[in-house]
Amino acid sequence: MAAKSVGGPAPAAWLAIAGLLLVVAVPFAAVVMQGIFPDLGQGSFAKPFSSFIATLNDGALIGMAGNTILLGFCVVLASAVVAVPLGVFRALYRVPGAALFDVLLLVPFMIPPYIATLGWIMTLQPRGYLQQLLGFNLSPFLFSLAGMTMVMAFNTFPVVYFAVSRTVEAVGARYADVGRVFGATPARAFWRITLPLSAPGLAASLMLVFAAAIEEYGTPAALGRRAGFQVLVTGIDLRISDWPIDLPGASIMSLLLVGLSLVTFLGQRWILSRRSYQTVNGKPSAKDKRPLGTMKWPVLAAFIIVSFLATGVPLLSILATAMSRTISGGLAFDNMSFDNFLQVFQNSAGALGALANSFSLGIGTALITGLIGVTAAYTVVKTKIRGRLAIDTLTIIPNALPGIVVAVGLILAWNMPWLPATPYNTPFILLLAYCCILLPQTMRYSTAAFQQIGDNLEAAARVFGASGITAFRRILLPLVFPSLASAMLLVFALASRELVASVVIAPVGMQTIATFIWRQFEQGSIGLGMAMAFIAILITTLLPLVLLALLRRSGLVAE
Amino acid sequence: MQADYGTGISSPMPVPMTIESLESNVAVSAAGLELHYGATPVLKGIDVALGQGKTLALLGPSGCGKTTLLRLVAGLLAPSKGSVSIAGQVVADAVTGTFAPPEKRNLGMVFQDYALWPHMTVGGNVSFPLEMRGIGRADREKRTMHALERVGLSAYAGRRPSDLSGGQQQRVAIARAIVAEPQLILFDEPLSNLDRELRENMVGELAELIASLGLTAIYVTHDHSEALTLADQVAVMRGGLIEQLATPDELVAQPATPEVADFLRLGGIAELQHRDACWFFGDSDVALVRADESQSASRRILIPVSAITPGDIQSDRLAASVVRSQFRGDGHLATVSLVGADQVELQVLSRQKLKPGDGVGLSIDLDQIRWFENPVHLHP
Repeated sequence: MAAKSVGGPAPAAWLAIAGLLLVVAVPFAAVVMQGIFPDLGQGSFAKPFSSFIATLNDGALIGMAGNTILLGFCVVLASAVVAVPLGVFRALYRVPGAALFDVLLLVPFMIPPYIATLGWIMTLQPRGYLQQLLGFNLSPFLFSLAGMTMVMAFNTFPVVYFAVSRTVEAVGARYADVGRVFGATPARAFWRITLPLSAPGLAASLMLVFAAAIEEYGTPAALGRRAGFQVLVTGIDLRISDWPIDLPGASIMSLLLVGLSLVTFLGQRWILSRRSYQTVNGKPSAKDKRPLGTMKWPVLAAFIIVSFLATGVPLLSILATAMSRTISGGLAFDNMSFDNFLQVFQNSAGALGALANSFSLGIGTALITGLIGVTAAYTVVKTKIRGRLAIDTLTIIPNALPGIVVAVGLILAWNMPWLPATPYNTPFILLLAYCCILLPQTMRYSTAAFQQIGDNLEAAARVFGASGITAFRRILLPLVFPSLASAMLLVFALASRELVASVVIAPVGMQTIATFIWRQFEQGSIGLGMAMAFIAILITTLLPLVLLALLRRSGLVAE
Repeated sequence: MQADYGTGISSPMPVPMTIESLESNVAVSAAGLELHYGATPVLKGIDVALGQGKTLALLGPSGCGKTTLLRLVAGLLAPSKGSVSIAGQVVADAVTGTFAPPEKRNLGMVFQDYALWPHMTVGGNVSFPLEMRGIGRADREKRTMHALERVGLSAYAGRRPSDLSGGQQQRVAIARAIVAEPQLILFDEPLSNLDRELRENMVGELAELIASLGLTAIYVTHDHSEALTLADQVAVMRGGLIEQLATPDELVAQPATPEVADFLRLGGIAELQHRDACWFFGDSDVALVRADESQSASRRILIPVSAITPGDIQSDRLAASVVRSQFRGDGHLATVSLVGADQVELQVLSRQKLKPGDGVGLSIDLDQIRWFENPVHLHP
């Protein structure tokens, strides 16, 4: 008999398994099964793998897969070009206003990519804001691979910027200084010590950018279609929403996309676990940093330009559009008004309903992912029970499931005619989708939190008379709560503005914030859509921040 | 309140060490205890019993299984074979599948990393065991304060553990372990995270606490001085087995094996060979003592530090040269190697500091030498 560690893990494990099966395994299995058995919809297991050959020989598919990878690499390259120099300067030199730039470069995280894209369209399109201000437009550039790359890179490069600046800062403060003591010049210390030690962190962040780029729906849908640039995500969307509906094809393309995501995710995880030296917890102090000297103004200019392009352009463009009485009126003082905001609050086109729907779904998603995340993380990190590996695997899968694939899986799983009851065509289908897409957030935060907790803290509670459940409730849960609460707030923010699954599987007649914005933009009520976008950014950013501040003040969440 | 801790276990009585003779007085016992991680055995068959009000030290190098044994007693691990009993109740038995979880065993425990719950105050940590036992708030506060007074920290009840120094944190952990007057307290290397001076003070305090409260305790350590100071019985462990179970005095006077003697740093171990009616150091020409006859051709011996008097090199003394020397409080403890048999290293206590390479003459009190039985001849 293998030695077993004694704990009270069974209820947590069962809860985690039940939740993961419903939220993750069902849609994932549906996609895989449909991919293998093309006639599954008719209840037949005939001709397995037959559609593989047909679909994989389809030249259009090869093109879409190629475009997906091409776009991913372009975004990675552009993000690196923008972020790496800025990150290194931020880490090693005294950049004036560094703290302010850090805040400004956080803003892109708060702007959903599809909203940023709409902002860029309003700016660069013919008679857009650029033309009104400077007399020319960049429409051909925007509606091309280069334009998509730029918009997406400006949305994702902060991931790389923060990874690089933190690693280089930590490594520079510790190991590079040791190199200096042993005779290396600053330049040699950078090339021989800082750079090799920072490379894993940089690589991992670039893979994160790649994963985000190949899963992105809004930007390729809004910009790529007009340029005839189809990626897998938009291709899948086309096959499930336009006649003739091709579910086997959509599932094979989904599997291809999942494969790409999975490889990227596992690669990133491998780098971080094996190759990362970023375990330094010492806080580097600003006094060790070098002055910029003659580079001061060029570096400062670069920070200002990048911050403006990443933060200022989309936000100002959204705000300008939202405040325009008419789009054709343009940037004129007498065209400014709050009419669009008023219309949102007067429930024009069901705006208030969309807000209420998204917030309810956001709260529900936060609660469910919080519960599954904390129980699954506990089981994986703190117990040695059998089935732990299955839970671990089930929690990895959603990392590699783009929103569109989750949507396809849910359609396949819950749209079968023989099911006695189904969440399909009810708000619950969106809840399932959001939970699957966002589970990695709570899972990641809770896992990290549990890993921080020494095993003896739980053991001590047991020895001093607490049952397994009491020890979990009184000791472990309060200790992971700060991380869990932050993760749940993040989930709320992301769920309440989720686009792709909402567009594909929202029940008939039900709007969410994202679908509302998307439809208003398509139908020409752009001002109303942008007013909603601005409100959504404001609320989904401010509400979690306020809650977090309240939790901190009440002492429930430590810094 | 003082009497609360002493009830029932305050009168020390002589307790014989065999299980059969004192069923009623055995506080904790293990029989045939084994633990395997997969195919790797960690414990290979442990039999031990401890009387009430007594302290057992589990002493051994890291990886010897001492902490594993403690966690089996605590119920944090379940045995692969054998059984554990506490106060006459079987709490774990691999054959019947009996297993009482930790919370049902009425224990106190002090952990190496303190394991204070960072989200609770010092008072909250200490009162937790009382809370789990369903004790009312007023009584809980009184007993918590009393336990904190016992370790000199009553002024810190409202603080967070992170505000306290390492030594203070460990005192809180001790208060938490004694507050509910458990039938058995387990110490898992409680002092190894403290620096030397603090550690030596705490050993004294712990010894006093254990004696005054009449605690029954199991104390895991790799530090022989802690074990010999605190325990009534010391189990020296090696490779998942108990090598010797004895009182501290017996252990020092009669270590069972050269390995035990070496681990307790009692002196130098040497292997002797019998040739030409003499015992020689190994295959060298250096003789220790005349012996006309011997049953065996070779024996291993312990030459205790106290058996050797260093002096100038003379004909009736063994010549040695100093390898290294370390100050030890009551003098300089030098490791020396014998001239002509330099694989033999002995320990010598000297008033003067000896420098590496110095020559020194050793006169050895042969009566103090301990001759170990040769295991090959013991089990033919």
